[in-house]
Amino acid sequence: MSGATEYDLVREDTSILELGAGATVGFAVVLFGFGLAGLFELVAVTESVAGVQLPRLLGGLLTLASAALAWFGIASHRGLVPTDPRPSAGVVAATGAAGVWFVVGGLVGSQTLGFGTVGWLALALLAGAGGFAATALPREDLGTTLPVAALTGLGGLALLTGVIGPNWAWSPVGLRATFAAPIAIPIIVLFCSLLVGWAGAKAYGGFGARGRHLGAYALVYLNVLAILGVLVGLLAFVFTKGAPVVVQGITVGPGVGPETTIRLFGFAHTVVWPVDWPFVMNGVSLYAEVSGVLPAIVGTVWLVVGAVLFAVPLGVGAAVFLAEYAEEGRFTQVVEVATNALWSTPSIVFGLFGYAFLIPRFGGSKSLLSGMLTLGFMLLPLVVITSREAMLAVPDEYRDASAALGVSKWQTIRSVVVPASLPGVITGVILGVGRIAGETAPILLTMAGATEPSAAETADVVGGFALSTSPPFVTNPALLEATSALPYQLWAIISTGVGGDAAFGWGTALVLLVVVLTFYAVGIASRTYFRRKLHE
Amino acid sequence: MSTELDETQTEAAQSPAELGGATTVGETDERTRAEWVDHEFDGDAKIAVEDLNVYYGDDHALTDISMEIPEGSVTALIGPSGCGKSTFLRCLNRMNDRIGSARIEGSVRIDGEEVYRDRADLVELRKRVGMVFQQPNPFPKSIRDNVSYGPRKHGDLDTTFLSRLLGRDDVDEEASLVEEALEQAALWEEVNDRLDDNALGLSGGQQQRLCIARCLATDPDVVLMDEPASALDPIATAKIEDLIEELAEEYTVVVVTHNMQQAARVSDQTAVFLTGGELVEYGDTDQIFENPESQRVEDYVTGKFG
Repeated sequence: MSGATEYDLVREDTSILELGAGATVGFAVVLFGFGLAGLFELVAVTESVAGVQLPRLLGGLLTLASAALAWFGIASHRGLVPTDPRPSAGVVAATGAAGVWFVVGGLVGSQTLGFGTVGWLALALLAGAGGFAATALPREDLGTTLPVAALTGLGGLALLTGVIGPNWAWSPVGLRATFAAPIAIPIIVLFCSLLVGWAGAKAYGGFGARGRHLGAYALVYLNVLAILGVLVGLLAFVFTKGAPVVVQGITVGPGVGPETTIRLFGFAHTVVWPVDWPFVMNGVSLYAEVSGVLPAIVGTVWLVVGAVLFAVPLGVGAAVFLAEYAEEGRFTQVVEVATNALWSTPSIVFGLFGYAFLIPRFGGSKSLLSGMLTLGFMLLPLVVITSREAMLAVPDEYRDASAALGVSKWQTIRSVVVPASLPGVITGVILGVGRIAGETAPILLTMAGATEPSAAETADVVGGFALSTSPPFVTNPALLEATSALPYQLWAIISTGVGGDAAFGWGTALVLLVVVLTFYAVGIASRTYFRRKLHE
Repeated sequence: MSTELDETQTEAAQSPAELGGATTVGETDERTRAEWVDHEFDGDAKIAVEDLNVYYGDDHALTDISMEIPEGSVTALIGPSGCGKSTFLRCLNRMNDRIGSARIEGSVRIDGEEVYRDRADLVELRKRVGMVFQQPNPFPKSIRDNVSYGPRKHGDLDTTFLSRLLGRDDVDEEASLVEEALEQAALWEEVNDRLDDNALGLSGGQQQRLCIARCLATDPDVVLMDEPASALDPIATAKIEDLIEELAEEYTVVVVTHNMQQAARVSDQTAVFLTGGELVEYGDTDQIFENPESQRVEDYVTGKFG
């Protein structure tokens, strides 16, 4: 390999390349994070900082990074810095570059220069081929840095010179959509910093095997950052939009809150809350200052509780049969395929089933009970699948040990197999609850009541139980009444405009998010508890 | 028929029935199988096996085994891999019933009672004939719960919440039973201050002794051990071997082992199984190792093959 430098086994001092490339990578990570924040409107990319427009500043930084990259490549090629490049950057990198340059060429040809289809396609192909050749043909150091530097320089200069500025907007020909600066600038920054991070990390490792390893490392880590960014950005987005609505009117003090009467079989006890949280404790009311979503919260909680109470015993029981009693064979295969298919069945189909099958059997009108059972049917297959897997994963050694002590199969299942599989079972329930708590379609068909429920319409399931002297001896009208649920109310507000304005909807969304995350937290805490019990 | 190993193997695979009779084994240097039954030991016969044949599907795993195991002694079963010694062991407490394809013919009597009767009580059998496995397999429960698992499930110890509430629990009985079993398994000193810790936190050797304690807690007469030390280091192995010798004072112990030195060290009598699932020689350990009657056994114990 010509020009390759022999490395010492241990290098004491940091070379100028390592210093510069390391700084460039750090720089790229910061820019990447900035791009993510901009994408979710956490940072306004069209603002000015110290008199300089932010897009120009970002453009300048990208141009700088581009110049640094180009220098790394050329310095390495000239032998000014010790590196260990291979003859070519490789087909994978070249194919990636070809794709990127194809898109850039096509966009410039069709949008900036206004070519027809033949013209822009020719330019795109030319740019793609150029990108491929520029990456694959030269030695690795040039092939890695120069195409990236060129692209970053292009993007950076466009921002720096104000070609793409705060007021820039692009309405693609033949597409009824407009891409404005607040979305375009973060995307350009994200994309360029991703490439700069990759090329910079390769330069830091001196190209070659170590450089490729570090390049891949940089890409993987930026990918993780992007995923976390999307997650945090989404939560922050909902939070910033919803929080002002949710927190309005909170007062704390003895006796300020609403009265709640807890009723159970004729006994009643009234509690006055020491906190008043209108959005969570009120229903929709013309007289209250702040309307709330209490009925929907209560509806969602009861829905999930009912569905879990219905599905978990049945599902775990079925899993015990499949994993412990049924012979592995045609029958278990059929059951497995059927449960998988049921789990992937669209929820509206379950809803329609509930509508056509359950509602006529429960008094002919939409009711909480129908909703619970419909969601329970949806949850059932996942509980069966995950519980069965968890039980099959319990080592046979435990079963042998138990059998050798003369303990019957059922006792073994009860005291060894099921406890050992509990963490897996709970994982399944957590996943399932996350899905059903946010379901709208089945609720719409089986349970939905008023879109603007007042506090008086809150389902009082506990207090609804009453004894009677004739069968069925225990009755509960609350279970047979229609009620609301958070996703349903959210849908009603946003799509049809009934029940409040959009801000009210964002508040509802935030509450739904918190309710679902609370179910998650309970599930994860109990899973951790049982896991610890098994291993500590 | 030749007694050479490769031929025997071929025969075993092709026509198990042919191998089965005493005549096929009865070369000049090997006594017929009937004589093994008549072999005279010091004690009474605790376990009597007669014409035992085991098939896994078409595979003939054990061929016409007949032997008597005397009470209060250690009997070692040795032989190369796949010779059926573990299968034989698992016949004694009917663990082979758990394998769907297994078919067992013949007779196994413990204290004169036929184990393979139609109406045999498996719970009672396995309480009386305990078993320790090759891999230590404690349950993912506390040390105490592991030891008292058997008696609790058999209803001999009642420590449920309800009985505690009513004040008629067996918590004290449980404590003394756990202590006694752990003492017998030589583990009490090491774990008495952490009985509520999870058993999976113990070392491999401790786990195996816990499994022995768990087995002793059901008060068996016979203890079956399937290569109990093969997954352990030399020090843990030495402890298990000491334990086996101690157990023989109170229990009838049957040990499967790969390790011939171990068999020579711990056992009173040794049964040698060779390929094809036949019992080739059975007798006092000293005699088997120093002066075996069969040439194949001599080759095996001196390390010429296997």
